[in-house]
Amino acid sequence: MSFFRVDNLHINLIEFQLREVSFCLDQGDYMMIIGPTGAGKTILLESIVGFWKPEKGRIWLEGSEITQELPEYRNIGIVYQNYALIPHFTVFENIAYGLKKKTKNGIGETVKDIAASLKIEHLLHRKPETLSGGEQQRVALARSLVVEPKLLLMDEPFSALDPRLRRETRHLLLDVLARRKTTVIHISHDLNDAWALANKLAIFRDGLLLQFGTIEDVFRRPQSRFIADFVGASILDGTVVANGSGPCLIDVGDFHLTSIDCTDPGKKVQVALRPEDIIVSKERPSGISAQNIIATRLERVVPEGRASFLHLAVNETELSVLVTNNAVAQLGVSPGDSIYAMIKSANVRIVQ
Amino acid sequence: MFRFSLTAVTFFITLLLVLAIGSLFVVPSLEDIRQNIWSPEMRFSLKLSLITGLTSTVLVMIFALPIGYALSRFKFWGKGFVKTIIDMPIAFPELVLGLCLLLLFGNTAVGKLLNSAGLNFVFTKKGIVAAQFFTALPYAIRIMKSTFDYVNPRIEFVSRSLGYSMFETFINISLPLAKNGTLASTVISFARCIGTFGTVLILAGGSYMRTEVLPITLYLNISYGNMGMALTSGIVLMVVSFIAIFIFEKAEVSI
Repeated sequence: MSFFRVDNLHINLIEFQLREVSFCLDQGDYMMIIGPTGAGKTILLESIVGFWKPEKGRIWLEGSEITQELPEYRNIGIVYQNYALIPHFTVFENIAYGLKKKTKNGIGETVKDIAASLKIEHLLHRKPETLSGGEQQRVALARSLVVEPKLLLMDEPFSALDPRLRRETRHLLLDVLARRKTTVIHISHDLNDAWALANKLAIFRDGLLLQFGTIEDVFRRPQSRFIADFVGASILDGTVVANGSGPCLIDVGDFHLTSIDCTDPGKKVQVALRPEDIIVSKERPSGISAQNIIATRLERVVPEGRASFLHLAVNETELSVLVTNNAVAQLGVSPGDSIYAMIKSANVRIVQ
Repeated sequence: MFRFSLTAVTFFITLLLVLAIGSLFVVPSLEDIRQNIWSPEMRFSLKLSLITGLTSTVLVMIFALPIGYALSRFKFWGKGFVKTIIDMPIAFPELVLGLCLLLLFGNTAVGKLLNSAGLNFVFTKKGIVAAQFFTALPYAIRIMKSTFDYVNPRIEFVSRSLGYSMFETFINISLPLAKNGTLASTVISFARCIGTFGTVLILAGGSYMRTEVLPITLYLNISYGNMGMALTSGIVLMVVSFIAIFIFEKAEVSI
């Protein structure tokens, strides 16, 4: 029996709908939900807490069904993007609010403990409106964490924070979570959040759960072009040529790739490549372990922060590769130059 | 030019209103007002107005808070119908509302039932409260609904996820966050109650020193040609409205 299970959940709120949502989590899992705006992600979280009644489907937590349970008895916490702090309470009262319902003793110490671990102990006497966004966010986290919820739901908790604050808050959050073994479901637009925090990933679109699995699985084997685009992988169409004793050989039109995944020869497949798994070199490399070496032409270099995407082409087929800006400078290549791309068979994954 | 003419029209109307209100204060002499205020009729009327007005306001708020919250938060069958009916008295002439109430509390089964419970609203002081209640209630509900619309439901959600029931959340979170709107709603209700004329006249009757509230005093004295008394009750009503609007503007809520 898994720790948390959603089974065939349907929600209909007219403006938003969720259909056939099913997934399981183990205790201590950190699930990241990504998907475009309007995919029904927030509605899913609010249904798990119990604010919306499902049309169909069931929800289990720790082996007992909670589908019909009132939110106040579920012991599930929620943190919103805009923090939803209680404006007429001080920071201390906000954090203590949930505790007061559960216990009479030691509230002061417990609040101070959690405030210290989230570095907000100097703000306890202030009103929420006098705090910065990052501080308010940590108060909201403290308020939810202090009652030790069985499950913590977070709806884009970091989206209003600048990148440096984001990293800092992620670290603080991971520290606090690790000590409590809290199971988390977190909605984000930022793939970096997923890499930094999560071990499970779910992709939503139009109220449907498109793919759910471990981070590795979803990032390397996206089940559709839409998911591949979303998680930044490229997808190539191909046909299996040979399926012998070694790795599987796949014809993707303009060149061949070997993959550790395999299926019957002649079968049409899609393979997924991640831009950070491909290495490039100006000269034809020798003596390296990568099984796929492809001669390509550099189309263009697209800088993106501290890294750049190289768009490579072999006739009609395009590949994108993520390299550091430093590496681009060292390579000394310009559009039109020929360049070799290398990728391990282990990183060429058949998705369909 | 466009901007100038629009501003000019605005000022013109404001000026007319100021003159109209001002004349209320300019025409009578101070001595007249002092005498009139201490006359037995005015003292009776003022006292009755305050007592019925306060009673009605309390009753109005007791109903407006839950109804406003229900209309703001919940979806339920027939909500559109309920909203239309509750809002209707705003557009209704007061006299018609009074007539409807008179018929309902008169000889119908409802009237008889209430009568046997000791609640006789026809031509009585209780009738004044009933008339004021139904006249002011729609305004109070509207203000409370829009006030609760502005309370972020996510704060209430968080409160519930932290173990508080809907009722506890309403008391701990929603009500304190709606305090400006509640104040505005109370003040507007009180002003509406004090100023209700048509409904009171029809349901409670406008009998001298019996069901005589301030607007009735104004009306009765105008009929006898006793301008001094009429003006004095006018001034008292005006002061109440001024204070009400002032507090309402301070509370910064929208209807």
